[in-house]
Amino acid sequence: MTIRNVRDHGQRYRPRMACLKKVETVVLEMQDPKTGVKSQTQRLVITTIPHAITGEDIVAWIANRLKIDASEAQAMGTMMVAFGYIYPLQDHKRLIIKPDTSLYRFQTPYFWPAQQWPVEDTDYAIYLAKRNIRKKGMLELYEQEEYNNLYKWMNHKWDFIVMQAKEQYRAGKERKKPDRVVFDCQERAYWVVHRPPPGTVSAMDHGLDRMVDPNLEEKKTPDYYRRIIMFTQQCIMRPRVKSSVSIGALVKYTATYKEHDPFLNSCLPSNPWLTDDITYWNLNMPNVETPTKMRVERWTFSFGELLADPRGRDDFRLFLKKEFSGENLAFWEGCEDLKWGAAETMKEKAQQIYKTFLARGAPRWINIDGKTMDITVKGLAHPHRYVLDAAQTHIYMLMKKDSYGRYLKSPVFKETQKKAAAPDAHRFSETQLEQNSKRRRPSLSPITLKQQEEEQKAKLAASGPVDITQVMSKLEKKQRK
Amino acid sequence: MGKDECKTMLDALNKVTACYRHLVIALGSTSDSQNLREELKKTRKKAQELAVANRTKLTALLKDKSISKDDRAEYERLWVLFTSSMDLLEVDMKRSLEIGQDFPLKVPTRHLIQTGMTGSTTTVAARAMSVQNMKYEADANIDTVDLKELETEIAQVDQMMEEMEMKVQVAPWAVEAKQEAGAELKSTVSVGNSSVGVISICEEEPKETVEGESGMMKVLAGIIFTAVLLIAGILGYLVINL
Repeated sequence: MTIRNVRDHGQRYRPRMACLKKVETVVLEMQDPKTGVKSQTQRLVITTIPHAITGEDIVAWIANRLKIDASEAQAMGTMMVAFGYIYPLQDHKRLIIKPDTSLYRFQTPYFWPAQQWPVEDTDYAIYLAKRNIRKKGMLELYEQEEYNNLYKWMNHKWDFIVMQAKEQYRAGKERKKPDRVVFDCQERAYWVVHRPPPGTVSAMDHGLDRMVDPNLEEKKTPDYYRRIIMFTQQCIMRPRVKSSVSIGALVKYTATYKEHDPFLNSCLPSNPWLTDDITYWNLNMPNVETPTKMRVERWTFSFGELLADPRGRDDFRLFLKKEFSGENLAFWEGCEDLKWGAAETMKEKAQQIYKTFLARGAPRWINIDGKTMDITVKGLAHPHRYVLDAAQTHIYMLMKKDSYGRYLKSPVFKETQKKAAAPDAHRFSETQLEQNSKRRRPSLSPITLKQQEEEQKAKLAASGPVDITQVMSKLEKKQRK
Repeated sequence: MGKDECKTMLDALNKVTACYRHLVIALGSTSDSQNLREELKKTRKKAQELAVANRTKLTALLKDKSISKDDRAEYERLWVLFTSSMDLLEVDMKRSLEIGQDFPLKVPTRHLIQTGMTGSTTTVAARAMSVQNMKYEADANIDTVDLKELETEIAQVDQMMEEMEMKVQVAPWAVEAKQEAGAELKSTVSVGNSSVGVISICEEEPKETVEGESGMMKVLAGIIFTAVLLIAGILGYLVINL
């Protein structure tokens, strides 16, 4: 039973698909006996069932009605099949439209995908139970897995599901044979759309659920108008940029990142979301030994990219170690840690950073100008998350203007570039793709990844001197002896 | 005993819910008609009567503090059955309102979806009402008049469900099912032409394997025929020789 009197702020509404209502009007027009799609009868072993339509008729009708060319009409037809308004009679698992004589049929309005009716797992459980009766226990593998899953977590409703499945099965038998066949086809098509078999793409995939029901009309209370006024005032106050400047920036960005976008270009060796092969992710792990060529190329785009990529930051750290100027990067990382870290350790972290980097005679003293140093020291009397922001920005600009340029020309970087891997593209056959999809496994847990990161940090901290101050102080100590 | 009465009433509610779902699925398609709207109305009224009866019985049983723990567990299980049925009924009623509004019958150009279903749903409704034949006596404008009634009935059901949730303190997730996975395969006791129906549906499933299966039957028949011929030939030979 659904709990009705619930007052939490959970997100449970599917985001709106505005296209559904539009497809419904098109489907209604297709029903017209004079101007709609021509229907034929489907001949089975004993019975004949009317109202079957061929793929080519559908595509021709759409092209004619909407005045588009055949390939676009085919894409639109595929969309209608993928949403479940039309279902194929042969090859029912592939939700595409074939512009030949393969047969399709319209789905009944109850089974149309509607915004306001979420697809319930109870109904799916009842459907699987009915299918179990029909197939005498021989469900398909993915159906059997879902059945077991649902039995486990819907256990409290299971008696109801069994009872309802048996009753619906018996009630269905009261109808005449052709209607029974049609009903079975309809139900099966509905569940192929909403619970797709593994390895298929679903048109009903949507992002995060929303907190607000998109079907509710918002009441125009004074509060609502107050919100609208605030929003428009903030829009007016926003700083405006000339469109030539902003468009120029967009063009520059797209020109630089065009090759690196997995939507616009193929990603090597293959896109794991499409082929279920995780080589791409393994090659691009945060702490991999040899990065890929594309990754190294991205480091040359901007300093921000270099620092954002953990492997890039490692490389940069190595370069700075050779130059004995690692304190800048260490300070920057310390500031990031302070900004994003837990609130309880903030004060200690700020004090630690001051002692290590900013105090007079500190072991890893960083070179910032007097004014910034003043502001920082004053702020450290009452430390908060962003107290080291000014110093961090100064150091960031220093690294960007100075060390970054030298890094790109350094032997460290050139070495990394030479050793970078360039994997070949995969070419999987259909059977291999199916095998891949069956072998899908969850990746490393974030806990293990975090532990690996911590281990790496500890190793770094224990390594030898990396700053000039540390080297100089070591030399001084030697001299004194 | 109260428990058995409850169970029979719940079975009846279950049956009516299943039949109502079958009827709502036919709405808006080519098997939609005046009769279907009337069947929906009658089934709905029967479902409401059963729901109210069930609710009073179950609330009375659950409010009784002097029952044993096993009894209470059993009643809670029945309560979960009841609320799940009511959930399904409510959703179906709301959907039938929507589809009924989208597909009115008495308009000059009505576009019912050509789903391939052309038969009537009389037998399903008769099963729901537990009668032999359905009698139709509604007026011509049942689709518009009925929709208004349907709206009020949905509001009533909504209110009833909210009240039930407030008054009866049952944790639905704590109930354990008595049936195990695959229980629907076990009891083959069913009303009507069940076994015949199963075979005929299997035959009629429009997949590629249909051709394969009928081909297999033909091959099997051929083999049996040749075997019989061979045996006849051998016997004749033996008779002649002896």
